[in-house]
This record gives sequence, structure tokens and C-alpha cells, in this order.
Amino acid sequence: MPGRRLAGWVAAVPMAVLALATIYPLVFTANVAMKTRRDYVLDRFSPAGSLRWDNLAEAWAGAGMARYFVNSFVVVAFAVALLLLLGSMAGFALSQLRFRGSSMIFLGCLAGLFVPFQVIMVPLTRVMADSGLIDTYPGLILAYVAQFLPFTVFLMTSHYRTIPAEIVDAARIDGNTVYGVYRRIMLPLGVPALLSVGILDALFCWNDVLISLLMMPSPEHRTLMIGVNALRGQYSDDIPTFASGVLIAAIPVLMIYLFLQRQIADGVTAGSTKG
Amino acid sequence: MPIGSPTPLVRPAGSGRTGAATVTHRRRRQDARRGRAERLAPYVLVAPAVLIIVVLRLWPLVLGVNFSFTGDGELNGTPVGLGNYLELAADPLFRTSLRNVGLLVLLLPVAVAIPGLLATFIYLRVPGHRVYRSVYFFPAVLSPVIVGAIFNLMLGFDGPLNAVLGAVGVGPVDWLGDPDLAMFTVVGVHVWATFGMALVVFLAGFSTLDASLLDAARVDGASLRQTIWHVIIPSLTRTIQFVFVTTMIGMLTSMFGLLFVMTSGGPEGSTYLPEYYIWHQQGQMNRPALASAASTVLFVVMLVVGLLQITLLRRAGRQD
Repeated sequence: MPGRRLAGWVAAVPMAVLALATIYPLVFTANVAMKTRRDYVLDRFSPAGSLRWDNLAEAWAGAGMARYFVNSFVVVAFAVALLLLLGSMAGFALSQLRFRGSSMIFLGCLAGLFVPFQVIMVPLTRVMADSGLIDTYPGLILAYVAQFLPFTVFLMTSHYRTIPAEIVDAARIDGNTVYGVYRRIMLPLGVPALLSVGILDALFCWNDVLISLLMMPSPEHRTLMIGVNALRGQYSDDIPTFASGVLIAAIPVLMIYLFLQRQIADGVTAGSTKG
Repeated sequence: MPIGSPTPLVRPAGSGRTGAATVTHRRRRQDARRGRAERLAPYVLVAPAVLIIVVLRLWPLVLGVNFSFTGDGELNGTPVGLGNYLELAADPLFRTSLRNVGLLVLLLPVAVAIPGLLATFIYLRVPGHRVYRSVYFFPAVLSPVIVGAIFNLMLGFDGPLNAVLGAVGVGPVDWLGDPDLAMFTVVGVHVWATFGMALVVFLAGFSTLDASLLDAARVDGASLRQTIWHVIIPSLTRTIQFVFVTTMIGMLTSMFGLLFVMTSGGPEGSTYLPEYYIWHQQGQMNRPALASAASTVLFVVMLVVGLLQITLLRRAGRQD
């Protein structure tokens, strides 16, 4: 139909402009990161003559980014591992086992989903401080687990609901205990969902600002995102180095995005069209 | 049949006969022990998750509400009734933050319409639709800190955006320094960073759309506008509802990072949102009880807006 095709081309123009507007800020930042300070002051838009790595090296070493990377990595790795373990255990029980109180428990987890962090941040900080967990790795890990567990349980439950009960019955007749069914059947069958929700949880934790700001006040415990923000003050008169720091911090997530786009999108869309 | 027997959950302790040491009895006792372990298994599996959610999410909610009726500083812990709430009502910063919430709610339809329209075009296969999907989605994975830092460069006085404006003859704009403009700038950046999320959700909704309806519309000679209005929107009510609710929650709860990096609440407090206010009162001003009161107000606001939205969208959905 010619009318439709014409409409398609008319839409293509704003879409292309928007795509440019989506990409350009990152291209600009990367370009600035490759410039010398002098080049930047003279003309910030011209393409950097060559790839220069000394800004990146300066940001990496000068701002101590290695430390922030390690902090973020350790915390995210433990938090995601715990989230997946606890989320799949609870998801399996809530979807495949019948027990008294299960629907109440599921509702409780859902209720947790609707409590925004902003609303509980004051008392949570207090609870953490009272338990001596403020400014410790376990404290931040636990805070992340608490934050994203309702979401993880919810997704794992809806994933396990799609698995027919016959599979579980067959495994039971073969002599498996409930724990055996979990370990031998449910964990392997949950891998696609665990991958999606795990990537999403990892992104949330890695990108977080507010929770780590509250739970890890001391500079040596800073996570990467807080560290990047601290760059601002340190390099306020050296924009190329600042841009380099931002770029370094963005690279891991961009890599993950390039390879695992589909899984990220699956996680985001779960629950949007049904249930 | 789900596993876990529907038989009574608790059996009297020691129901096995005592004293009988025959093989069958021993086997039976083992079975009983195993049976008990099996019956407890679901609780063991959910216990850690439930414990964490209750202790670190639901309990703090109760604590916070309770805490909001007590005093700060010297009055620490003593009940002050509605004192904190009265102070909030009188605080111009908090009033600005609530007004900004109102602004967000007003801008919400725009933040939903943009990805909705783009998803429609992608679904109708505009040239290059495959590329657009990945391009639009990519800022959604970036941290607000990264996005904020990038846009601090973009929106600088002699940054790229003002250069574009200069090229068409419009003077440079102080995007983050003008109190009347700064909030719109931050919301704009938030939309830039998150519309890809909503887009992907819309596309998932489209994938459940019945293609024969579209064919029928085409046969009947419906225009693009008519197709969108009479076929696509009614079939996607559920998805639209989902996007509305998640976009609003996103706007009300995940702009802290941007505010923290881009404006710190300024200029003149014009970009305060409740979450920033709470953080500021708690950490910077050492007023946790006042911050708790603000949290409680935020929670109520979110509940009311959420319920209102669901009601409105339900009613809109029913008319079709």
C-alpha cells in the first residue's frame, strides 16, 4: 500500500534524528576523552586527531578507579549470587509446592515490590547501623538483596509456573526429595530465567547511587558510580580526563549490552503482557 | 498434582509406635522423619527470602511511619504528634518537591506517548526498524550517574546542544542554571535515558497483537491514524497500563542519581523531588524523623497516584 509506505518514510526521518540524539552524547563524550586539554578548549567538537590513552590512564590511576571497580564488582557478584539462590528457592516453592500460607507469602513478597526504597531509606539505614552493618560489604550486599529480592522472587515464580507439574511428580517418583528436585530439576530448568533476572539485578546494583551512598559512607568503600561522581570535583578544570573516567565506567555495561541485549529486554518485559 | 501432600501438615509428634524394633517399624520411622522433612521443605525454601523481605523492607516501612511522629535532635525519640508533618507543610523546599511531583505526573503522558509511537512505527516496519530497537534501548542500561555526567557536558554553556541552537540563531540557554527550566531539563534527560525501556515493553505487547486484525483494517482501507486509534490502542490496553504504572514509578523513584549529579536540587531548590529532600534531610541536615515524615508523605502520594491511575485506565479500557 503506497500510503503506508509513504507514512513509513515520513516516520523514518524523526526516528533517525532520535537515533542520532541517542548515540551522539556518548560519541561526544568519547571524543572529548581522546582530546588534550588544549584541543578541548580550542574546539570541543572537532574529531580528536588520534586515539590517545593518557587521559584514560590518568583517570584510572589518578582517581583510584581500580579500587572502585573492585568494590563494585565484589558487592554486585555476591548480591546477584544470593538473589538468584534465594529467588529461585522461593520461586520454586511458591509455584510448584502446595503448602499452608503459600498465597499469603506470595502476597507478602509482592507487597515488598511496591515499597519504594525512598520510603524506607531512613529506617533501613537505622536498622543497618544498629546491626553494625553500615559501611561494610555485607551491609551493602544485604541492602541490595533486600531491594531486588521481591522482583527476583516474582519473576522466578512466574517462570516456574510454566513448568508442568508432571516433571516434578516424575522426579519425586524416582525418589528425589524436595531439595533434590530443586537442585537437579528446577535449578537447571530455571537457567534462562536466572540469566535474564541475574543480568537485570546486576545492572540495577552496578548502576545504583542512592543505596551505596547511604550504606557505604567512607571513601575507601565507594562503589564505582559514587567514585565517578567524585571525579567531578577532582577534575573540574580537566574535562577530557573527567570524560575519560566517565567512559571507563560506562564500558563494562556497554559491553554487557552488546552481548546480552536480548536477555536484558526479556527481563524488562517479563510480566508486561500477561499476569 | 503438585508435590507436598495435601494431608495434614502437622502430625502429632511420636506418632510412630514406641518400643518396636522390628525392621518394618524402623523403616516406618525413617519414612516419618523423611516425611516431616519433606513437609517442612517448602518453608525452608521460602524462609530466607521471606525473612529478608519482612525484616529489611516491610518492617522498616512500619518503623518509618512510627518514627515520623517523633522528634529530631534533642527531642530524639520523644513523640511530637504531627509536628514533623506541620513543619513539612511549612517548608518551601518540600512544597517545591511536591509541586515537581505534580509536574512529573503531568508530563507522564508524554513520557508514555513517545515510546508508544516509536514502538508503533517499529512494529509497522519503518525502514531500519531492527537497528532502531537496539539504538533506542541502549541508554536504559547506563547508570544515572553516567547519564548525568554525559549531559553535564552536553548541556554546558558552550556544549553541543547550545551549539546546535546557535546554528539556527537561538541564543545559548542556561539549561541547568535557570530555575524555571532546570526541572524540565532533568526530566528531559530522564526521558532520554529511559524511553527505551518502555519501548521494549511496548514491542513485547505488539508481539501478542493479533495480526489478522491489522490485515482486516488494511482490507477495510483504514488510514494509519485510524489503525492506531481503533485497532492498536484497544488491543494494547494492558501493556499501556503497565507502561503507565512503571513509568510513573520510575519517575518518582529513580531520578535521585540524575538530581545528585546534575543539579543537587538547585538552582534555588527548583529541582527538588521528595527523594532528594528525604536524603538531604536525613544525611546532610541530620533530621531523620523529619525525613521519615517526608517518606510517609511520598508513600501516600505514590499510593494515591497509582490507584487513581489504575482506576482511570480501567475505566478507559472498559469503554472500548
